[in-house]
Amino acid sequence: MNQWIKVAFRNIIKNKRRSFVTLMAIAMGFTAINLFSGYTHNTYEGLRASAIRGSGIGHLTIYKKGWNKFGKSDPDKYMIDKDEIGKIVKIIEENDSVILATPRLDISGIVSNGRNSTIFMAQGVIPSDDKTILGAFFAAQPVTGETLNDKKEYGVQMATDLAEYLGLKPKDDAVVMAATLDGQLNALDIQVSGIYDTGIDAINDKFIKVPFKFAQSLYDSEKADRIVVLLDHWKNTSIAQSQIMEQLKNAGIKFEIKTWEELSIFYSNVKNMFDMIFLFIFSIVLVIVIMSTVNTMGMSVIERTREIGTLRALGLKRRGVNMLFAIEGAMIGFLGSIIGAIFHIAIWFVIYILSPTYTPPGSSSPVPLHVDLLPGNILFMVICMIFLSLIAAIFPARRAANQNVVDALGHV
Amino acid sequence: MNLIEMKNITKDYYLGETIVHALKGIDLKIEKEEFTAIWGPSGSGKTTLLNLIGTIDEPTSGDLYFNEKKIDNITDNNKSEFRNNEIGFIFQTFNLIPVLSAIENVMLPLQIKGASSSKAKKEAFKRLCDVELEQYVNNRPDKMSGGQRQRVAIARALITNPSIVLADEPTANLDFKTSNSIIEIMKKINKRDKTTFVFSTHDQRLLDQMNRLIQLEDGQITG
Repeated sequence: MNQWIKVAFRNIIKNKRRSFVTLMAIAMGFTAINLFSGYTHNTYEGLRASAIRGSGIGHLTIYKKGWNKFGKSDPDKYMIDKDEIGKIVKIIEENDSVILATPRLDISGIVSNGRNSTIFMAQGVIPSDDKTILGAFFAAQPVTGETLNDKKEYGVQMATDLAEYLGLKPKDDAVVMAATLDGQLNALDIQVSGIYDTGIDAINDKFIKVPFKFAQSLYDSEKADRIVVLLDHWKNTSIAQSQIMEQLKNAGIKFEIKTWEELSIFYSNVKNMFDMIFLFIFSIVLVIVIMSTVNTMGMSVIERTREIGTLRALGLKRRGVNMLFAIEGAMIGFLGSIIGAIFHIAIWFVIYILSPTYTPPGSSSPVPLHVDLLPGNILFMVICMIFLSLIAAIFPARRAANQNVVDALGHV
Repeated sequence: MNLIEMKNITKDYYLGETIVHALKGIDLKIEKEEFTAIWGPSGSGKTTLLNLIGTIDEPTSGDLYFNEKKIDNITDNNKSEFRNNEIGFIFQTFNLIPVLSAIENVMLPLQIKGASSSKAKKEAFKRLCDVELEQYVNNRPDKMSGGQRQRVAIARALITNPSIVLADEPTANLDFKTSNSIIEIMKKINKRDKTTFVFSTHDQRLLDQMNRLIQLEDGQITG
C-alpha cells in the first residue's frame, strides 16, 4: 500500500502546474464553505440567543388551549387567570431543565405626552424575571436612565424612536390609554424610567416594556396571555416540551406549548435562507471539485497509459489500477483540504483581529462580523473533500483499469 | 517437459473492415531453460506471439498451455496472478515507472504479489547487484542511461524468479557495447538460475547468442 501512496504522491508532485490548479480549486472551495459555515454557525447562535433571550420569548411559551386561534377575538376567554398562573408555574418549575417560568401580558393602545399621541405596543414582564431571561443581553442593551424595577410599577422602558417622537426623556411622565378586556377605555400615567434601542428597526418607534402588573392594571385584569419558560439549554427544548406537556396533562390543564423555533419566524426565515445559500455554494464547490479532479485524473490516465499497461503486464489486477487512481484522487482531495484549512484559519484570524462590522437587514445598529472556527466542521469537510475527489477519480480510474494491456503498452 | 505449448494458435486484428491475420495456426513448444529467439522481419507477428505467451493478449483461436495446463481461458484476475508469478517482461522501451527509483521499480512485482516492503527491498537490491547497478539503486529512470534502464528492467523481470522471461526487442534501443553487456547478463542468468528466456528480435548480435531460433514470416513459423 505504501508503494501506491508513494506513486500517487509523486505523480501529483510531478505535474506541478496541473496539480497546483486542482489543489487551489479544492482549497478555495474548502475555504469558502468553511468560512460561510463558520459565519452561519455564529449567526444562528446569535439569532437563537437573540430570539430566546434578547427578544425574551424564552425556550417555551405556554398558552391556554385556543389562544393562538381565537385569542384575538375573545382574549378574556383564552387568557390564563391568576390561580392557573400559580398552578402552572409551580408544576413547570418542578422540571429539572427549567430555570424559571414567568407570566407575560402583551398590551397595545395609545401613548401621549399631552400634546402628541401615537400608538404603542408593550410587553408586560416581571422585571426581575425579564432580567434573568435577558441574561447577557441585559448588559448588551444599554438603557439611558434606569431599567425596569419590580418596586416601581409605573416606570417603563421606552424604545428610542418612540421616545424621540414624543420628546420624552428619562423621568418624564406620559399617559397610556387602552381598552380594558371589558371594552372600557382606561388611561394610566407612566414615567419613562429608561430609553433603549430594541435592536429591531421595525418596532423602535412603537415599543414599550412595562411591568407585568402595570399591563394587568391597564387591561383591568389579573390574567396573563402566556407563560414564558426559560430552560438551562436550548438543546433541551424538545425534551422539556414533552415533559411539561405530560405534567400539565396529568394535572388536567389544557394548554398548548410552542417552542422558540416556532415563535421566532425571523430565525427560521434567516436559517432557511442561509441554508439555501449554503447549499448553493456547496453545489458550486462540489461541481468544481469533481470537474477539477476528473480533469486532472483524466489527463493523468492518458499520460500514464503505457505505465498502466506495464503495471498490468507485471501482474497488477484491474482493481489494483482502480485503487492506484483512487488513492491519487483521495490524496488530491486531502492535500487540497489541508491547504484550504490553512487558508481558512488565516482568513479567520484576519477577521478576528480586524473585527469588521456590518448592519444586517432589519437591524438598527451595526454588528461585528464573527466567523466561528469549527474544528468538527473542518474535519467533516476534509473527509467530504477526500470522498468527493475519490468519487471523481473513479471514472478515469475505471477507464484506466479497463484498457487492453497490449493497446496500453503500445500507447505513445 | 514443455514449459509452453501452443496448438494451432491464430490471431486476427480488425482494422476497420479489414481483417489482418497476424498469426496463422502456430504450433510451438518451448522447453524449460531454453534461450530462444523468435525472429523475422517487421510485421511478421513476433510481438503478437510474445504477447500471447505472456497472456497480455488473447488468441482468436487455438490452445495455449503452460506446464501442460491450459491458460488461454482463465479469468483476467488469474491471468494477472499468473503473469506476476510465472512471467518476467522486458520491453524494448524499458517501461520503467518514471516516479520511482531503480530499486522501487524492481520491487514492484514483489509488492504486487503482496510481499513486505523490507523483503522486496532486500530482493530488489540483490537483483540490482546481479545486473551491476548497485550504485544506482536510488536513481530515477530519467537520471540513467538506456543500458542502465534496461538492466533495471531485467532486474525487475527476474525479481519474482519467474519460469520464463519474455523480452521484446530488448536491444533495439541500445548501442553495440551496451547490447552486448545486456545479452551477457541475460545469458549468465539463464545458465545460473535455469530461467527460460524468449526474445523477439531481428538483431543479429542477439541471434548469434541463442540456443534456438524460431523464424516467423507472415504469421507462420518457417524455421
